[in-house]
Amino acid sequence: MKKYTKAFLSIVLLPFLMAFQGGDVLCNSKELKEKARQALEPYKYDSAELTRITYKKKESMKEVEVPLFIGEKYRIVFELEALPKQIEVQIYNKDKDSKNRKLLFSSKEMGDKKEFFFEVSKTRHVYVDYIVPPMEEGSYNGCAVFMVGYK
Amino acid sequence: MNLKYLAISAVVSVLFTASCKEIEDDQKNQESFEVTDSSAAPTVMPEEHDVSYNLPSALQIAYVFKKSGASFIPSLLNSKSKAQEYNTNNYKRAVNFGIYSADLAYCLFSKKYEESKEYLKACKETGSFLGLNQAFESDNIAQRFDKNISNEDSVVKIVSNVQLKTDLMLEQNQQKHITVIAFAGAWVESLHIALAVNAKEKNKKILGSVMEQLALCPVIIKALKNHNDSEPEIGNLIASIEEINVRFNSIEAVQKSIESDEEIDFNTLTVADSELNVITDLVKNLRAEMIK
Repeated sequence: MKKYTKAFLSIVLLPFLMAFQGGDVLCNSKELKEKARQALEPYKYDSAELTRITYKKKESMKEVEVPLFIGEKYRIVFELEALPKQIEVQIYNKDKDSKNRKLLFSSKEMGDKKEFFFEVSKTRHVYVDYIVPPMEEGSYNGCAVFMVGYK
Repeated sequence: MNLKYLAISAVVSVLFTASCKEIEDDQKNQESFEVTDSSAAPTVMPEEHDVSYNLPSALQIAYVFKKSGASFIPSLLNSKSKAQEYNTNNYKRAVNFGIYSADLAYCLFSKKYEESKEYLKACKETGSFLGLNQAFESDNIAQRFDKNISNEDSVVKIVSNVQLKTDLMLEQNQQKHITVIAFAGAWVESLHIALAVNAKEKNKKILGSVMEQLALCPVIIKALKNHNDSEPEIGNLIASIEEINVRFNSIEAVQKSIESDEEIDFNTLTVADSELNVITDLVKNLRAEMIK
């Protein structure tokens, strides 16, 4: 009996463990954007951006510049469920190299929510910064999606 | 005996991993809407940049422009019968796909639904050269468009849904550079229309809309630079848009706004005809190069 248990464990468990060696989270862009599209309502779809996130040993950052038309009303929906560890989303009025930039939004207020949105108007640009926390072991990847809608 | 178990588990592991890979590949094929056009095959792997750019849609540009009260001038549109001529290289396909998208958006928000239908066809034709057939063929788009033709909200929704699908397909096929080139085409066409309507109507709001579109120059240049090596024509395209940007920045009011680091209200601007004429010529030349 003992020998069959041993065989069963090596046949079933070993491949199972091997399958998760990569540490990546499946990034299904279509599914993520469909979800974002629903959360965008009643705003009209304008554009969407998928950003590949690679976790490193040190904290890192990725920035997406989003041009807008002044006077229009916008909703930006974020979908963060395809990430192995929560990241922070910060939105600024100027890019990362500007000295006097103002923080307009931080996802810290949202706790561990994987889907949330931010509404903005009266500006020509926003800069979406993804603050990626450090990961100790292995190489982990995932993706973040945001969708822009206008009214 | 232990070796035997280890050998069995190793074989099962290989089979399990291989079958997972097959399932994953199948899913990828399904999600990429089975792009079969070999001419549209991806030529480059996407580069990972720390800074990227999310460009607006041709629909949104037309929506904002229409709100300025602009009239519809059909002679400004590119001939829809030329679509077949653009199936020469990826740059030509993408840039003219963008141009037809802008024409479609202009017709749509001007409530010219029969013309919109024709330009939707032109988009479908140029889109097919890029392997985007599925985006136009799924969900009975042509029939739904016909059925809702007098309802602006519904047709806009249908067209923006097509756009979402084409964006998704280009992203999944690792052709982000095509999205950027197509947007450059759409932007040039929108600007060409806006400048011509402004020249005819001399309206502060329309001028404001022209300036808003010109303010997109830097972000388009940066987005194109992220894909500089993807197509040989991108270098010249960047140079042409940079020239337009230099002229835009030399407009006195714009220059002041850059110096003061403040966002300017373009609706209150006064721009000399001479300043605008130089930009009009540059846009006209760039468009002529794109649609020839």
